[in-house]
Order: sequence, then structure tokens, then C-alpha cells
Amino acid sequence: MTDIFEPEIVAFCCHYCAYTAADMAGSKRISYPPNVKIIRVPCTGKVDAIHIMKALEKGADGVYVAGCLEGDCHFKTGNLRAAQRVRRVKALLEEIGFDSRRVEMILMSAGMGERFAQTAREFTEKIRELGPNPIRSAIQEQARRAAG
Amino acid sequence: MNTRKAGSQTVLVIGGGVGGIRAALDLAESRHSVVLIDKSYAIGGLMTRLDRTFPTNNCDLCTVSPHLSESGRQLRIDLKPMTVVEQVEGVAGDFNVTVKTMPRYIDLDKCTACGECAEKFPDWVRFTPGLDPRAPTCMRYPQATPHAFSVDANKVTDFDALEGVCKVGAIVPDDREKTETLHVAAIVLATGAELFDPAVLDNFGAGKYPNVVTGLEYERIMSASGPTLGQLVRPSDGKRPARVGWIQCVGSRGINRADVPYCSSVCCMYALKEAVVTKERFAEEIETCIFYMDMRTFGKDYERYLTRAVDEYGVRIVRCRPHSVVEEPETGNLSITFATDDDARHKTEVFDMVVLSTGFRIPESSVALANRLGIDLNEHGFAQTSGFAPVATSRPGIFVCGVSESPKDIPETMIQASAAAAMAGAQIYLDENEIEEEEFFPPEQDVSGMPPRVGVFVCDCGSNIGGVITVSRLVEKVRSFPCVAYTEAVGYGCSKESMNRMEALILEHGLNRVVIGGCSPRTHETKFQDMLRRCGLNKYLVEIVNIRDQDTWVHMDRPEDATHKAMKMLEMGVYGVCRAHPLVEHSLPMNKNVLVVGGGVAGMNAALLLAGQGLRVYLVERESRLGGIARNVRATLEGDDVGRYMSDLTAKVQAHQKIQVLLQSIIVDHKGMPGRFTTGIQTGPRMHYMQIEHGVTILATGALAHRPGQYLLGEDDRVLTQLDMDAKIEDDPESVRGMDQVIMIQCVGSREPRNPNCSRICCQSAIKNALRMKALNPEMQIYILNRDIRTYGFQEDYYREARKQGVQFIRYEPDRRPDVRATENGLVVDAYDDILGCRLEISADAVVLSTGLIADDETTEELSVLFHLPRSDDGYFLEDHVKLRPTDMSVRGFFLAGTAHAPKTIRESITQGQSAAGRALTMLAKQWINLGAAVAKVDGAKCSACLICVRACPYNVPFINAEGYSEIDPAKCHGCGICAADCPARAIQLMQYEDDQILAKLDGLFERMN
Repeated sequence: MTDIFEPEIVAFCCHYCAYTAADMAGSKRISYPPNVKIIRVPCTGKVDAIHIMKALEKGADGVYVAGCLEGDCHFKTGNLRAAQRVRRVKALLEEIGFDSRRVEMILMSAGMGERFAQTAREFTEKIRELGPNPIRSAIQEQARRAAG
Repeated sequence: MNTRKAGSQTVLVIGGGVGGIRAALDLAESRHSVVLIDKSYAIGGLMTRLDRTFPTNNCDLCTVSPHLSESGRQLRIDLKPMTVVEQVEGVAGDFNVTVKTMPRYIDLDKCTACGECAEKFPDWVRFTPGLDPRAPTCMRYPQATPHAFSVDANKVTDFDALEGVCKVGAIVPDDREKTETLHVAAIVLATGAELFDPAVLDNFGAGKYPNVVTGLEYERIMSASGPTLGQLVRPSDGKRPARVGWIQCVGSRGINRADVPYCSSVCCMYALKEAVVTKERFAEEIETCIFYMDMRTFGKDYERYLTRAVDEYGVRIVRCRPHSVVEEPETGNLSITFATDDDARHKTEVFDMVVLSTGFRIPESSVALANRLGIDLNEHGFAQTSGFAPVATSRPGIFVCGVSESPKDIPETMIQASAAAAMAGAQIYLDENEIEEEEFFPPEQDVSGMPPRVGVFVCDCGSNIGGVITVSRLVEKVRSFPCVAYTEAVGYGCSKESMNRMEALILEHGLNRVVIGGCSPRTHETKFQDMLRRCGLNKYLVEIVNIRDQDTWVHMDRPEDATHKAMKMLEMGVYGVCRAHPLVEHSLPMNKNVLVVGGGVAGMNAALLLAGQGLRVYLVERESRLGGIARNVRATLEGDDVGRYMSDLTAKVQAHQKIQVLLQSIIVDHKGMPGRFTTGIQTGPRMHYMQIEHGVTILATGALAHRPGQYLLGEDDRVLTQLDMDAKIEDDPESVRGMDQVIMIQCVGSREPRNPNCSRICCQSAIKNALRMKALNPEMQIYILNRDIRTYGFQEDYYREARKQGVQFIRYEPDRRPDVRATENGLVVDAYDDILGCRLEISADAVVLSTGLIADDETTEELSVLFHLPRSDDGYFLEDHVKLRPTDMSVRGFFLAGTAHAPKTIRESITQGQSAAGRALTMLAKQWINLGAAVAKVDGAKCSACLICVRACPYNVPFINAEGYSEIDPAKCHGCGICAADCPARAIQLMQYEDDQILAKLDGLFERMN
């Protein structure tokens, strides 16, 4: 494989801010890497640690949770809870020797199309540098062995 | 009422700014038909051009834009953009209004806002600037309503070419101006105002120096989607300014040529906001300085905003009115020369940018419109209303709200809009027995237990999607996904033709799940949900995959990657929708009774309006008589007789058959859900207990007249409050006439650490009393010691009149408060005069303290516990959204009116009383309470009652029930899912976003990858 590594990234975006910001980036035609796939949630407060862990387990190279700016949460404090949860997940990942930089919490308002795109670019670049998710490589290895 | 004859059921709303939209939505939700017209080609008005709004500094567009798209969608609203009123005939209840619609040259039903026409012929077509990256004033406003282009026929040179690019055939080259006559029962005027153009002034350099901008232009420069993409740079050289200065009252509060005498009410706050946001968002070290005459931060919690701006953000405020702005031609810098009260010498400071705070102006076109409507305007060109009928114009049946009535900010516009809607709706007789209009959807088929048969329909949206990826190729790939029974490319999926085709295909192939590959669910989900319902499928069985906004629009330059991503996104959608199941939207019958707590002016107005609509109202008052604090007021600033008004109002309330007045009554318990509450009351001298069943609750418990023990109040009977003086002038005019010298002290017990907010009403009551005292004894010397004079709006006229009559206004600073002493010869007040720079000793026959209002902390605390309602720090009830929902409370079914919300005048309390009634009617018009479906559900078997959800919920909904597990009332759940994410036992699932749906999407994404 001589191709440059194209990471697969999952972005959990809240309906009211980050998802709208992604639409804004669209309507303003601001491009960002196609590696990022969005899963819409009503509020980042809905994003469970298990969702993040499962995404990594299934093979995501990076996961970020994108919610409203502080004080802007449609559900008062969902974004802050999400941030707290992301911190917990990161600590947990560190404990098991997994690079916690693969998981981030990001805040933006609905109008920040530019920021959405920039975040996607920066995060993708960072994950590209970190290389493939070791779990995914292991799964692929296993699959190869099973096949061979 | 005789106006309530069967006839027109429709209300005409003129003007589609936030006020008009709110009024139209309220009316539609109250089961009235509405025609909403706007002269522009999209609704939205001024607010959609703002960057962020005070006091939260949020971008509130995400809050207002659902309102906008809501009004496009509402079945009862007939939206007519590019339409103006020609003529109005008839009387209230039976108007014939001739309206003229300009040609748009676009068929609104066909246009999908794909943008092909704008792409090819950018100069010929118009769209709301939001989506238009070229427009110099573009705004972050992705939901233009109507969501369609319009053609500027003057610029089109070749209509055939234009028709050629439109794939859906929406271009109508022979579109003509149309005139029609509308039969309406009432009219709501909400045309707003323009902002003053300071270029007509020659002293501030607007339009001459590039770095002099208006407040709104500065707002655009700061905006993330503005012309500079959110970079704060000055127009002359694109450099970030290091020093920005604001000049207040440009064109307002003046007597010179081009000035208007009134205060525009909003500029102090917006200048502060702009300065704070400059510091917050850009750089702390940018110096910001506001030159002002009086800092008018009189709204709810606005004074705190001022304090924060100055103390925390370091915004400098300088009291003075600069004479002029002069440009240094070589640098583009601007120098402002000014003199302050405490220093007579002129000073000059240099700024990189100067922002002119311009206020509202009624345009000529509104004056002409008023003539056509046959309504009176006041001397400033705003719609004339009377003191106790704040939203009624001079012509019965025509109501007014927003800036058309007087300068005001967004929350006050919202309050007035709901009031105007309620008053207009009251012109219409609605038959209570009228069967609720059913939307005609066939019965839903039961798909549970059936294996998923997914239909995938992919739009090309013209070249928006189809120009980047080959939709037919994508469709082929999708066919191989599990559970996919049918796929097809559908062109413009949202067009009528495509929808018809998809409906036929769903039935033909027995599809029970649908995935749409198209644009954003934010704008189009409802449309496709309705399509499913027409096919007898539950609306939660559709998944919209946003391959336009989040794929082809952003990866135009890499079609291969875009195709791959679209495939992945669709696969996620298919996997997700397979796990979707039909959801029932809960509903319960609505109880139509109303509980109004508080029998003051706001509560009584709300009660009367609702009882007039045939609803039963329980009016609970803790005192032994109705009237509240307004009973102690004799006259308003405008000279209206409050006493007579109050006795009329009280008599009407007491005589009304539908109103049960419960005096000496207190609330003791409360339970139930919005639309079905039960409240226990102890009533009468014997505290008899009774229970009331009601659907909504209006809180109008008022505030207290403040009487702080300062300045000898309560010790010396020559020291009075403004309220005491108000009564004395009326009841004992002789003793007032005998006074030679009177001193008033403002902000007593307000704007200080213990009560940091402004009481709003005191400046006008001081001026009111001063003018009345001057009328009794023109020789009387009156001194008003003040920190700022906050006579907002037209109150400014009376401030000017008071100065003209010789009332002396002396400024004091909080660190040099006046002092009041009682001597044998009378009272003596020591005050420091900034202008003279020395202490003054003034003797006085009376000292009148402007003590204002203070929250009724005990009452609001008690009720907030009983009803689970939030309060602000200073003890007032807290509304659901300070900007857009000032009358609604965070618990559905609770509405707020009068001084329980914040200090306000009688007129403002009446408005909010009517507003609360209007908001309540939007709920009471429904026969059923729809509780929605996206709510959290607890699996009792898994729950271990650990209380985590109880603590996590931002709305305190979960509780541990008698069976010992957590229960979430679907009526109260807001659907955020925080509890579901926090539950360690995974006992809670958020419907529509269940864990297995989310995990299935991940499976779809990683399916072929591993």
C-alpha cells in the first residue's frame, strides 16, 4: 500500500449547532476532507461513552463530538455534559494504552460553517499523522489470517 | 360582542419581521387563518441581519430560523411575499383589503432553491442574502422563507436562457402583477421601521470616511458569514482596528436638522453588545469606548450587562455628546473631540474605527400605508395607540406590534406581537363545536414484525448533487445493501412530481422504510415525513441522508471521494432506518380552563381576554381585593386616569360570568402535565381548600413597591416615594401647591449591589410627578438627582418638556451619593454637582425617592417550588427564552405577565397580560395535547433507581415512582437524551435516537471496511 492513509472519522453532531454548521459549510461551499462522516443527535448530551468506544471498536480512526458553544446548548447543559463525558472516555483510553487524541470534543455555533470545515480539516490531519486505529489493523489482520 | 358575527375567519398580518411572524404563528396555532404579506421577497426583517443579540450574546438565528420555516409550513398561514396593501374598506370583523402582489417570475411551488439559475445568471436572480456568498451584506441565514429565488426582471436580458437552466420549470416569464381582495376580520400591522442613515449628517463623516460605520454595518463586519468572513477589519485598509469608538444617539434625541426627538430604546444595548463581542470574540486588547448621553439599560437584567461590560470586559464609557469626527487622511484614523461633565476642556482621542449608533425611523412608505389603512399616527410617525389599549390603533379591528408602534427591542416586540395576535383573534368568533380539522392521512399500517423493505431514493437536485456524482451509479451500488427492496434516482425529490412518483413506488413495492438521499433533514424532514404518512407509513420510518449540504457541496473538486462518501452515508442511513420503528406521538385531551395567579392589571387583562373567548378562568388573588400595585397609581406619564381604568377593569372582571374570582386565596399544591393540571387552593378568610382543573396557568403575581430605609424614608414624613407623591398630588393638591422646592433622588434601592438591576419605571414616574407638580405650582423649583435619565421611546418627549419647564437635572455618581438631613427649617440635601465641580446644599420642602420595584421574592420562591419554575437571581420569574419567548415559561403550559417578569409600566403590563392570553390560546385552541415521540423511555426492569437520571436531567423530569424505578413523563420530556447517555444500566432509550439505531449507523459505515 503506497496510498496515503485515509482515516475514517465519525463526528457526532448536535442538531442545533454543529449539524447546522456543517450545512452552513455546505451552503457556503467550504470544502473539507470527505473522511468525516456525521451522525446527527438531538444534543451532544445524548452521545454516550459507549457510542464513542463502539465507533473505535468498529474501526473508526478518530471520533469527535461537536456541540454548541458554551451557554448556547438548546438543552441548557447537554454540551457541557458531553465534554465531561469525552474527558472521561479519553482518560479511560489512556488507561488502556490507546491514544486519546483520537477522541475530541469540539464546540461551535450554528453559523460557524468555516469553523466546522476547519475542524474537520485539522482533525483529519491529526488522525492521519497518528496513523490507522490499531484495533482496525488488528481486525484486518485477523480477517486476513482467517481467510488465509 | 357585535363584531363576532359569522364572517371572515381570517386575519391579515402586514410585515414579516420577527413581530409579524410571531403574530402569524400565534394566530395560526390558535386555529385562525392568516394571510402574512411582506413587501420583500423573503420574510425575516431586521433581526435576521444581526450578528449576535444581547443579553446572551448568542447567535439567535438558530432560534428564529425554525420560526421562519415554521411560518412557511403552517397550514393556516398563506404567505404572500412581494405584496403590499392598496386599500382597506369595511369595519372590524368584516374588512375588504385589496392587496397587490408584484411578479416574482418564479413559481413558488416548483422552485427548489437549487441555485442553478443563480449559478448561471447571478445578476438576474435574487435570493435572501444568507445563501449568497457574493452579497456584501450576506448573513448566516440558511432558511430563507419562502425557500425560493425571485427574478429581477429589469436585469434579465434573455428569459429563454433563464428558463433553459431551470430543470423544474419554475421560471414564469409572463408573470404579472396581481391584485386581489382579501376578506379579513382583523389586521395586524407589523411593518417595523428603518434605521437612520447618518450620511445626511455632515459632522460624523458617515458615507465620507470609510472607517465610520453604522451599528448594523459593524454587526455585519463582525459576523462569521459577513463580507469579511468574521474577521474584524476596518474597511479602509483591511487591518484589525486597535481602538473602536461608538457614538450614541446619532440622529436620535436631538433637535437639530435630520434628528428625531425620541429615544430609539435599543442603541445603548446594541453598542454595549458590539463592544463586548469585540472583546470576547476578537481581542481583549482592542480598546472599546462608548460616548453616550444617558446609558439606557432599562430592560430585564440589562443593567447587569452594563456592569459586566464595564467591569469584566473593560468597555470604557464616556458621558458626552461628541461634536464631530475628523479623519486623518493619510492613516484613515478618526479623531473625536469631546468635553466631559467633570472637565470643561476639550479632549481629542483618535480611533481606528468609529461606529455610529443609529436608531429607528418610520419610512415614508409606512406613513403612506397608515393613510391607506386609515389609522392615526403620532407626531413621530408611529401608530397611535391609547394608554390602556397598547396594541389597538385608532381604527377598530386594526392592531399594531413591534417598532411600528414605538421603538423597542426583540423581546418587547415578541410580547406585543402575541398581544396583537390575541386581540385580533378576539375579533373572530370560533365555533367551539367546530370539529378539529384533521389532516387527511390514511390510517397507518402496522409494520412491526415485518422484515424491513427499504426504498432508497436519491435526488440529483439539478447539478447540486448530479453535477458532482453520477446518481445512477450510486443507485446501482445502493441496490446491493441489505434490506434494500427498491432504489431509484428521483431528480428533485422534493418536487411534486417526484413525490407523487415515490408515493406510487412505495405502495407498488410494499416498501416499509424509506431513505432519501438529498439535502438537509433540517429543512426537508417534515416534507418527506408527510409523504410517508400519505402512504400509510409512520413518519418515523424515513431517514434523510444529507448528501447535498454535507457531501457534494463540500467535495465538488473530488467527485470520486464524494461518490464514495455518499455511498457510505446512504449505507449508514439504510442500516439506521432498518432499526427504526413506528413511534406513537402521545396525546391527551386538553383541559380548556385557565388558572390566572394574581389579580393585578396583567392578570385581569389576561383573564378578560380569555373569558371573552368563552373559556373558564379562575383568577386567584391573595389580597382581599383586585388591582395589585396599580391600584396605588393615579395617573400615567401620558396623563391617563389610572384610577378610573382600574375600577372599570375590576368591575368588568367581577361581572364576567366566565371568570371566577378567588380572593384571599393561595396556591398550596399542584400536579399534572401541560394541558391537564390540578392545583389546590386555600381560599377565603376560612382558608377553605378546593381543587381546580386547568389546562394552562398564567403567572401575574406582580412585584413589590420598594421601600428601602434610606434617606430618612419612614423616619421623616417629608420624605416620600414617587408612589406616595403620585397619590398626594391627586388627593391633597393644596399641600403640594404650597411646596417651593422639591428634590427627587433616582435609583434609590436600584442599580446597587443589593438590587443590581434598573427598576425601569422610576425615571418616567419622577418626570410625571415633576410635570404634575409644575402644573400645580409653576414657580416650584424641582431638582432631580439622577445617575442617568432613562426615558426610553416617546417618554423622551416628557423629559424634554420637564427641562423646558425648568426642572433641574443633576447627575450624581454612586460613589458620591446625595445626603438628606432633617433640620428645623426643613430638609436639606447635600449633592455633588459634576458640572459645577462642587457640593451643593439644597433645602427642600419634600424629598421624593424613586424607589421603583423589587421582586416579590417570597411569592415567586414559593410558586417556583410548587410549579417547578425557574427564577432569575433577583427573584423575578425567568422566561423560557429572554429574546424570543419572553412570555412563555420553561414548563409548557405556563405563561408569564406583568411585573412578575420584570419591572414595567402599567401599559407594558397590560400588553404582556394580553400576550400571555394569546400564548395560552395557542395551546387552548387544541383539542388534544400532542406530546411528540422523541422522548426518553425507561425500561423498569433494568432500572436500579440509582438517581443518576434524576440528577442529570436539565428539566428535573425523571422521578422514582411507587414501583421503585425511574419514570419519565413524556409530557415533560424535552428529548435531549442526556439521561439515556448517563444511565449506567442502559435502562433509558431516547426514541428516534435509540442506541441500536446509532450503532447500526456505525455498522453501516464500517461494514465493508473491515
